Amino acid sequence: MGDKFKNSTIVIPIILVILGMFIGAGYNQFKSSQYGIYTQDAATFLSAPTSYIFSSAFSFIAQASDAVRPRRAILRENKELKARVEKLSTENLILKDCNHENQRLRNLLGLQESIEYKNIAAELISRQESSWFDTFRINKGKNSGVVVGAAVINQDGLVGQVVAVGHHTSQVVALTDMNSSVAAMVQRSRSQGMLYGQGTDFMILTYLPKDADIKEKDIIVSSGAGQVIPKGICIGEVVSIQKNAVAGTTAAFIKPYAKIDQIEHVLVINPVKRVSE
Amino acid sequence: MRYITLVILLLIAAGLQGNFPSFLSLFGAKPDFIFVVLITFSLDEEPDFGAILGFISGLIHGSVVGFALGSFIITRTIIGFISGLVTTRVFGDNPLVPVVSAAWLTLVCEGLFIILNPPSSFFMAVSTIIGKCIYNAFFTLVFYAVTKGRESRRKTFQIQSKYI
Repeated sequence: MGDKFKNSTIVIPIILVILGMFIGAGYNQFKSSQYGIYTQDAATFLSAPTSYIFSSAFSFIAQASDAVRPRRAILRENKELKARVEKLSTENLILKDCNHENQRLRNLLGLQESIEYKNIAAELISRQESSWFDTFRINKGKNSGVVVGAAVINQDGLVGQVVAVGHHTSQVVALTDMNSSVAAMVQRSRSQGMLYGQGTDFMILTYLPKDADIKEKDIIVSSGAGQVIPKGICIGEVVSIQKNAVAGTTAAFIKPYAKIDQIEHVLVINPVKRVSE
Repeated sequence: MRYITLVILLLIAAGLQGNFPSFLSLFGAKPDFIFVVLITFSLDEEPDFGAILGFISGLIHGSVVGFALGSFIITRTIIGFISGLVTTRVFGDNPLVPVVSAAWLTLVCEGLFIILNPPSSFFMAVSTIIGKCIYNAFFTLVFYAVTKGRESRRKTFQIQSKYI
């Protein structure tokens, strides 16, 4: 190692590390503006052809494995799905009725919605994963009205939040990313806390009081605090609870309903109008 | 030309990285293909070349992820440099060298990365790093075998065309 170390110069790595520091600092400065997303656009554009090939290959393998399932399994799944559709249709009718009743009562009390939301349908165009970050890009941006902080959902529930917006694309940080934080609450008891991504398949719900009413399999929904993410969007369910008697806090590990790696189409929920009561 | 080929390889690795199936994750970790390319090529090269390759791979990886660009560049540059220093003391053709190097360099790289970007859960970070070490070591062995095999075939062909 000695000869090689002597022959080489340590100056080049030092210059590169210092350059890296400046690039990183500059990138963070520009990230809030559009320039940050332009560099990402360039990188995504360059890796797009291979990304497309691998994506097609993996989805072909997934489809092929689905196609060779035995007939009996497909029939069983069909039966289960039919039963589920029937159950959900009944639930839907009850919920519609409840919604009408809720609106009538709100009108009687003179309460207005403090905020309105506009839904923008979008498609996932690329996924950028590392072990510590879980982000993806969608094909709608500023031109479609997407704003930073908007909630992104799919049929399973909340998926993430928009963190950067370009003219035609936006970057979304997934709920499971370690930079993600969302105000959330327990649907049953309304205990509120903050939900943080861990960079793994699970999230952690913290800032709950030590005597918080929370148990395993409780459903976690968005609390609507901050009025950016609408209240009541399903996020996931509690898999385990940790009570810290010394600190007087409770934390819960949450498994998200949305399968982040299987997302194809999403809805961006934009807060568009604030009405003062 | 050599750098262009490597940049293309790094971009292919970035494409594969984003589409690697989640169900294949090990302790919550997925292989870092960009890192695998970096280790495979910088092991046989001078430390300076490793540092430059590390810088480029960090720039590509950080740009694609969209977060912590500076951390990606700094950690990969350091790892590329260290990786270039490794093979002078050990027999580079031994397949154990890239495997063991990939594992401990992943450990150093991710250790540096979490110092620069502390995770919220240390325990989960440790399990992720372990998973990543195993994955990177495995894929480095595969990639190293492919590139070495290709290189030896090329050399054999050159010798044959010269003397036969």
